[in-house]
Amino acid sequence: MKLIDASQLDALAKTLAGAGYRVVVPAEDGDVVRYAEWSPEVTIRTDAYPVNSVKDFLFPRSEVIDRYELVGDDFVPKEVTPEAPKTALLAVRPCDGQALAMLDTIFNWDFEDDLYNARREATTVVPLVCTQADAQCFCTSVGGAPDSSTGADALLRPADGGARLILDPLTEKGEALVEAAGDALAEGEAEADPPADVPVRFDPEAVRAWLDENFESDLWDLLSLACLGCGACAYACPTCHCFDIQDEKSGTEVVRLRNWDSCGFRLFTQHAGGHNPRPDQAARWRNRVMHKFTYIPERFSLPGCTGCGRCARICPAHVAMLDACARIEEESKKAPVHES
Amino acid sequence: MNLEQLKQDAKAALEDGRATLVIGFRDRASECVPAFVASADQADALTYDDTCIANTAAYLRKPEVRERRPVALVARPEVMRSLVLLKAENQLTDDDVLVLAVGGDTYHGVLTLSDVEALLNEQYAELAPEAETLAEIERLEAMTAEERAAFWAEQLAKCTRCYACRAACPMCYCERCIVERNVPQWISTAAREHGNYAWNVIRAFHLAGRCTECGACEAACPQGIPLMLLNSLVAREVRDTYGSRPGYDAEAEPVIGSWNKEDGEDFIR
Repeated sequence: MKLIDASQLDALAKTLAGAGYRVVVPAEDGDVVRYAEWSPEVTIRTDAYPVNSVKDFLFPRSEVIDRYELVGDDFVPKEVTPEAPKTALLAVRPCDGQALAMLDTIFNWDFEDDLYNARREATTVVPLVCTQADAQCFCTSVGGAPDSSTGADALLRPADGGARLILDPLTEKGEALVEAAGDALAEGEAEADPPADVPVRFDPEAVRAWLDENFESDLWDLLSLACLGCGACAYACPTCHCFDIQDEKSGTEVVRLRNWDSCGFRLFTQHAGGHNPRPDQAARWRNRVMHKFTYIPERFSLPGCTGCGRCARICPAHVAMLDACARIEEESKKAPVHES
Repeated sequence: MNLEQLKQDAKAALEDGRATLVIGFRDRASECVPAFVASADQADALTYDDTCIANTAAYLRKPEVRERRPVALVARPEVMRSLVLLKAENQLTDDDVLVLAVGGDTYHGVLTLSDVEALLNEQYAELAPEAETLAEIERLEAMTAEERAAFWAEQLAKCTRCYACRAACPMCYCERCIVERNVPQWISTAAREHGNYAWNVIRAFHLAGRCTECGACEAACPQGIPLMLLNSLVAREVRDTYGSRPGYDAEAEPVIGSWNKEDGEDFIR
């Protein structure tokens, strides 16, 4: 098997960068850890949860999708080539890999998104199996696992009490990455450490069944009261994919932008005529939960939420998806109240 | 801190109808999270310590909270200042809120906005930002303009325009924020260099004379951007230039929104 000392991830990153990869790693930045492009100044941190997800590198938070120049009286379109550098997502979380299954589907559902696909094609995903979980993790409640290889091109597995990492190639891209890693990897044998114990916290089927029957429930008011309506959860979320198109000008140039959007914002469903079909935070929060736990599963037979817990960790109001699901499951066990 | 008394007071206020909702904090897996207590039997969950940094006054912006006035809020001194300032800006009256006032290790009891104003002037007149923040501002001011620009370019590159800072701030209550207008496009919506710079600096400017330095925005930022460096700097400039500190006087006119003959002019060069 291919092995590397756990303390030598920098060396692996450096070798891959030298082989032409843009290497993305969980990088320390003051008090936070963020997936960012590796450079020799970066400190890799695999012990803390990143505040962002790998979607940043496949579906950037803002990108130019069209460009026009005003020439005389005409708007002349200019070439826009998507940036799709060869990328290695190194030591990311298995739940990020899990999310890619959903993003791949959404970005090729009713329209093939060339921008996403170009970057996806150029990306090699190398998750690091989790040997620790925190109170907000619930991957195992939504069909995931701390050692999941879904979406992975190669998998890093801690071994020998965390001192070493085993690198298993799983796809052609993974093989290519292992080859590019060359001498940064050693040959040998090691005993893989057990993955983190992530207890199952709720039954997603019970949640889904309740969601399908309780659109009008008062529980939504309760669950959403703490929510301040910002976009932090949607932006941190590895599966959230909604976007807003904005045209902006600068001098004689107009750019059409695709920016991240959040269903938590009041403006998300605001109609030009003044009507808003999701007029309060309860309706907006309900949409978020329904999207993740019934609409996506129903339409694509895939979990809409990977249980990564990022939303809960960064929410300014400490609203936790896990709490909402647990509460809904609790509610689902009560005798149904029939409204006529 | 006499948490028992706080809980008792919350219960009493709910029982006798002086409040229909208490917004405070509770413990969830060793984290201090916002709590919304609507009945006396839930009040035992209330807790408070110095990790309870959210500004509860921000919830008064939500229609679902406003319609439940009178609301009782657990508030530390900076949050109390937010409430007095909201009153000065005609967003709140004494009948709208009851304050469960906390400060340092002390629970001060149940107060009206007028009582809160008195308490602030008596006991919390000298509130200052964290020493760390002041030291960092000094460090930035000692830099050259290029070094400072590089510092902010790096910090603001992290901004994703999630607007958690705005959501966490009680003074950001505009129904339509400047960043949500595109006729004209005051601020680029793209989460990149100049748009991020414009957003964060303009928000700090819109808070000039209105920021009570509660720190909720910086705590809210998922990216760890040091927003208090901007806000505390602006607050200092307002204090030094106009001698004004927001949230200590419910009759005060807004500093930037009003003109006073005594206003200095030495910034005009």
